[in-house]
Amino acid sequence: MSVEPTADRTESVPADAALHRRLVYGDESALNEAYAVYGGLVRAVAVRVTGSRGAAEDVAQEVFAQLWSRPYGFDPRRGSLRTWLSVLAHRRAVDWVRSEARHRKAAQADDSALQAIPDAGPGPDEAVVDRERSLLLHSALAGLPEPQREVVHLAYFAGRTYRQAARELGIPEGTAKTRLRSALRKLAESLTDPPDRALGRGA
Amino acid sequence: MAIDHDEVRELLAAWAVGALLPAEQKTVPLHLAECETCAAEAEQLRETVRLLDGPHAGLRAGSRLNGAAGNGQGVLTAALRSRPRTARVAPHAAPYAAAVAGLQALLPELDGHWTTPVVHDWNAHATVAHLLAADEPLALRLGLDARVPASPVPQDTPWEDAWNARSAEVIAHEFTRTPEETVAAWAAQSRALLATPEAHDPERAARATTLMGMPLPVAEHFLVRAFETWIHTDDLGRALGVPVPPPPDEHLWTLVRLSLRVIGLVLSTAPPVRFAMTGAEPGTEWVLGSEHEPVRAEVVIDPVDFCLLLGGRYAPDAVPRTTTGDEGAVRNVLETAAAMSWL
Repeated sequence: MSVEPTADRTESVPADAALHRRLVYGDESALNEAYAVYGGLVRAVAVRVTGSRGAAEDVAQEVFAQLWSRPYGFDPRRGSLRTWLSVLAHRRAVDWVRSEARHRKAAQADDSALQAIPDAGPGPDEAVVDRERSLLLHSALAGLPEPQREVVHLAYFAGRTYRQAARELGIPEGTAKTRLRSALRKLAESLTDPPDRALGRGA
Repeated sequence: MAIDHDEVRELLAAWAVGALLPAEQKTVPLHLAECETCAAEAEQLRETVRLLDGPHAGLRAGSRLNGAAGNGQGVLTAALRSRPRTARVAPHAAPYAAAVAGLQALLPELDGHWTTPVVHDWNAHATVAHLLAADEPLALRLGLDARVPASPVPQDTPWEDAWNARSAEVIAHEFTRTPEETVAAWAAQSRALLATPEAHDPERAARATTLMGMPLPVAEHFLVRAFETWIHTDDLGRALGVPVPPPPDEHLWTLVRLSLRVIGLVLSTAPPVRFAMTGAEPGTEWVLGSEHEPVRAEVVIDPVDFCLLLGGRYAPDAVPRTTTGDEGAVRNVLETAAAMSWL
């Protein structure tokens, strides 16, 4: 059985609290440390949602700028820094994809207005449908209740086992499994909901 | 190892996102091969995860954490620009520079809450205005100009009266301005204080001068400024429901040592009490009171609670502590500490 790095609640709370204290009091080396530990995760979440390394770079900048300029926004007594950054990166990335989708639609509308003969080609291809459904799912994920969302972030984005996620969140393993299952079921159901409603809920 | 149907159902989501324990990675697929119900749900969840992965899955070879190498320096440089840089000063002024940074970072959270009651009869706006007044004596002493017009004070006014009158005057003046203007004036004065030669040169900061009735080296007046700035930042945080962590340990202990020394001067004839602080380096203890009498009691107290007591944020009988020995001697020391109320 392989031994994976663990960060359980009892270890991560004092470490997060110490790092947070230094961030609050303007210690730049604390920001460097936060980036060294969580920069990879933040980028990975953003790449996963946006599919663009350039966008992931922008998201990472926004996330670490927010951690630095609004350090009181993170409260180490309420959750781990890993989860907080992951959730923030995800929300920003979803915002990026939404605004990009709006721009694309606006551009298409311009194009079709300019073209006398509308493009009679095939309908939206599979990739476009997948992209829309992916956005739908990520919007739904951003709108999950916090306890469920945290488990998804740790198990899915941060690559933790459900046991590690339970420990990091300070909850029983059974609860972590149940939350993960409810979360994923809700996401699966969001695909069968009318798109407008699901999108609105995630906003 | 056999695994039971209900157990697998509970694990399907973990299976779909790859969060199973190593041992279960073999047993779950075995069950899926023979149970149609589980296989159907597993397939649906896996499809959800595939869509969650997005159509760009090819972009990410390898592990999930291996996002993209990216440009860390670019991200950090951009992030650092989002907040005023903490002043780089000599160690004696570093606690004040840090406390200023800690309050500055709280300011965005105060947006829209400037009339929230904070402490005494001050709201958030008045609390920042008070800090503008409280930093002023050191600023004037170091040759800076007052930022708010001052009324003349009779020569023989006791410092506490002059201090309270000036604070009230500055608060009244600032109420004719916007909170943003008050913040700008406070921040500018702090920046100017941290730019004085005394903030950078330990030799110049060794010169003693009397402020707030205390003859101390300028270096220690900077510590008093750090103390008060932190305590009021903590006040503001409490009012907003935003916890403010205590200053970094190194700074906190500097503040505690200075406070103990100042209190020690006032208590030089009192029955002596030994102070032990939680989290202090082993063997570090302080005795407050007469040097010529045996220690009458020992008190163990958290350094942050001790600072809050000094700041008047704890009543002497309410501050959490463990006492052994003469309770009266301890009460005397704590009451003296609280009565200094130099903030």
